[in-house]
Amino acid sequence: MAGSLSVLSDESLLSRIDRRLYGLEKVMAFVAGAAVLGLMFLAVISVGGRNLFNAPLPGYVDWMELTMPLIAFLGISYAMRDGGHIRMDILIGQLRGRPLWAAEFVTTLVTLALIALLIWGSWAHFDRSFDCARPLCSADSTIDIGMPLWPAKIIVPICFSVLALRLVLQLWGYARAFAEGTDQPIAVPLVKSAAELAAEEAEHVQGADDGETTR
Amino acid sequence: TEWNASVWGKRREFTEHVEKIAELVKEKTDGEFTINVSYGGLSKPTENLDGISIGAFEMAQICAGYHEDKNPTLTAAELPFLGVKNLREEVAISDALYAHPAVQKDLERWNAQLLMSSPMPQYNLVGRGDPRSTVDAFNGMRVRATGGLGDAFKAVGAVPTSVASNEAYNAMESGVVDTVAFAPHAHLSFRTIDQADWWTENLNPGTVNCPIVVNKDAYAALSDAEREALEGSVDEAIDYYIETYGKLMERWEDVLEEKNIQKVEFSEEELAKFRDATQGIQDEWIAKMDAQGIPGQELLTTIKDALEEERASN
Amino acid sequence: MTPIEIGLWTTGFLFVLVLLGMRVAFAAGVAGLVGLVWIFWAKFGYAPDRFMQAITVAVKTAGQVPHSKIASQELSLIPTFILIGYLAYYAGLTKALFEAAKRWVGWLPGGMAVATVFATAGFAAVSGASVATSAVFARIAIPEMLKVGYDKRFAAGVVAAGGTLASLIPPSAILVIYAIIVEQDVGKLLLAGFIPGAFSAVVYASLIVILAMVMPRFGPPVGGFTWGERFASLPKALPIFFVIFIIIFFVYNPFGGDPFGTPTEGGALGAAVVFVMALVHGMKWHQLKDALLETAKLATMIFTIIWGVLIYVRFLGFADLPGAFSDWITSLEHSPMITLIMILLAYAVLGMFMDAIGMLLLTLPVVYPAVMALNGGEFVSAADSAFGMSGPMCAIWFGILVVKMAEFCLITPPIGLNCFVVAGVRPDLSVQDVFRGVTPFFIADAITIALLVAFPQIVLWLPSMA
Ligand code: NA
Ligand code: NA
Repeated sequence: MAGSLSVLSDESLLSRIDRRLYGLEKVMAFVAGAAVLGLMFLAVISVGGRNLFNAPLPGYVDWMELTMPLIAFLGISYAMRDGGHIRMDILIGQLRGRPLWAAEFVTTLVTLALIALLIWGSWAHFDRSFDCARPLCSADSTIDIGMPLWPAKIIVPICFSVLALRLVLQLWGYARAFAEGTDQPIAVPLVKSAAELAAEEAEHVQGADDGETTR
Repeated sequence: TEWNASVWGKRREFTEHVEKIAELVKEKTDGEFTINVSYGGLSKPTENLDGISIGAFEMAQICAGYHEDKNPTLTAAELPFLGVKNLREEVAISDALYAHPAVQKDLERWNAQLLMSSPMPQYNLVGRGDPRSTVDAFNGMRVRATGGLGDAFKAVGAVPTSVASNEAYNAMESGVVDTVAFAPHAHLSFRTIDQADWWTENLNPGTVNCPIVVNKDAYAALSDAEREALEGSVDEAIDYYIETYGKLMERWEDVLEEKNIQKVEFSEEELAKFRDATQGIQDEWIAKMDAQGIPGQELLTTIKDALEEERASN
Repeated sequence: MTPIEIGLWTTGFLFVLVLLGMRVAFAAGVAGLVGLVWIFWAKFGYAPDRFMQAITVAVKTAGQVPHSKIASQELSLIPTFILIGYLAYYAGLTKALFEAAKRWVGWLPGGMAVATVFATAGFAAVSGASVATSAVFARIAIPEMLKVGYDKRFAAGVVAAGGTLASLIPPSAILVIYAIIVEQDVGKLLLAGFIPGAFSAVVYASLIVILAMVMPRFGPPVGGFTWGERFASLPKALPIFFVIFIIIFFVYNPFGGDPFGTPTEGGALGAAVVFVMALVHGMKWHQLKDALLETAKLATMIFTIIWGVLIYVRFLGFADLPGAFSDWITSLEHSPMITLIMILLAYAVLGMFMDAIGMLLLTLPVVYPAVMALNGGEFVSAADSAFGMSGPMCAIWFGILVVKMAEFCLITPPIGLNCFVVAGVRPDLSVQDVFRGVTPFFIADAITIALLVAFPQIVLWLPSMA
């Protein structure tokens, strides 16, 4: 699979935790992907129901709005693990060894600080919509069929918490790489040149091509 | 003191009272107290109450039906067939409702208090094809109507269909819906009127309730002069709003004529039939409120009394 | 310090973070959050005892953004468009398209290269991503071109350039992103991409034909296909036309009747069709799983930038920087057209160093209102405007222009990603080779952009019908 080649592993505790967490991240990302298929079926049901039975799916828009956070957040840590979130590496790509790990450590630390604050902020956002003194614990609901919004809102702090865990592991990885002065760091995404990124893309398409020929 | 007010969309009749009150307040306090009106920059429409609760801004416009569970008490004013005939009456029932302790307690959860209403005319349908002028003709009709209004149409056999307001035009054009229920200004701004062959002139099934709220702490922190300037400007702002909306209604008549849109008038019997069919919705609503410890019946009575009083005074 | 000054400092800070290699999404989030804290603390008169309160309000304001901005039905087009692209590989559409194009236009001078351009354009109709399109065709089309004697650098250049068509021709994730950020009708923008995308393909093809007639680097035309063989090649490529059909008919019915539904439904149904095709073609479970994981990863990446940038945009809303920038742009002495061209050139430079999506998301919140102001405002009529088009039409036109600019940047050095991808697929080609091979196409792109600027009707004709 594309991406998994970009993180090195060994038998250290760090690497074992990394791989364990990666398992969880992959499951979460798969649920996100399955939710995209869900959106597709939702549309088929909506269009089909409307045109064939004059029975449009009640609250189609509401259902879509409840599904979107699954797609947008469940994969966030998975993408972070493999270095899938884009950045501009024209400067950092020039660094090697300790200066590189120091720079990565700093930007990762700032990211962790942001995510920690956003866990607080998104939890507060969820908490305002959650009030168990009320029916279904709901203090905020969708516009059309009035479904509770809190289950969609709580996804955000949960996914951010997994991401925070991932960022802590990466800080550990960068700190270790800095201490060892290595060029083979464990449990962090390697800085890839555009050429390496391209090779990875090609790798993925290679797999797809096989799919075309194996009929 | 400097306040931010969060509204949405573009500047239009629906936001003119906010603009007016900002202007009046600034005048009365010699520029000491200013209110900056932001159109969508500070929050998403459905999250203005969250912003008020956080203290991100001090004033906001909200619509009760966008999030029933945030403000269950306010949805009393959105129930079908309350019998409101014009904007003055809408102001009267809103003011009475906003003054009720249960409503104020409801809004307190968001650290919000109610300042004034944004009276909206009754929603009416625009539709394509042959006009539907009887309640029976609603059977099987796909209608874009959300919340309680959707329930009302469902009660007479129509099929409420979920479409975002900015997709309403598309939905109508593509036959996703046959009809759309909006207030006139929304029929104009979402261009559903461009798809219409007919408009129900007197169906008047209900409307949305969209108060202007302020953050309680910010309100308390105002100086006496500032608070007086704010409270003292409400009536003038509302008058100005109703005046501007009146001009819009004149334009609405012109648009109907220009586009050759047929006005569909329902007979008294038909209206009564529709009203009777939806009677259950009010009862259900009261039961739902009772379950939450909200005096639903009392709120409805408040609205009815206010309506009678307003009629008697004219 | 005034809110606008705070806005400028924070924007500077954002660019420093991005330059330092912080992930764009998080850099924007940090800048937005810092800006919000600053704005609220300034409002509290910088009282030390109220600093914590400023942080609380800022964090809670920022904390709303991820959920509230993502929970939107229009954004659902992005993951469905990405999924369509991945499933299209498994539906066997790439080879079918190339074969059909070869049989139909192979007889032209430079015929195999022309066929490659039209096959990539056809694949663009099911793929939302340019880079992936180049990667697929590097594998399929380059070997065939080499077989008949093409210069390998030119063959690589054709594939790199052809891939860029995927972002103009719908489905296009990047056009959806533009529509969301500038709050314009997604359907009309998607519709608007068709003709400029097809137009770009025709410009590429004409250039190839002309070059083939004057230069010897090309292999012979590939002719001799009977009409029967030509038509026989079409059924396998049929799903492409079906998807195009669905998307067009859900946005706009070209026969003057009613469209069938809304754009969001159209996108999802298009995905469903390709999904069924892929199943029929024998897609395996592990391949579906792979496609879903890749879709999730790419969609998450895009959504993360969207909410990160929208935290920054929320802060801009409090600072009113876009308003100030618009005022500055409209106060310039140049004619609006000169200013617009300078903005486009700035995108060309920025695009050399940045990813297209990141670049558009970071700049549009400030640049877009300025361009609209330049034209005379969001609600201006065509008669009163600077560019001779109404506000909504200007929004569409500018969208197509910046997307075309972003595509252009995919083939320009130093980091034209499509060229790297092609070089990555072909070990026998260096990146320099591909950049050399693609040179004629950035002349073609420059011509295309100039024509789109000079004749906005090319962009606006179709959306103005809808
Ligand atoms: Na495309
Ligand atoms: Na580039």
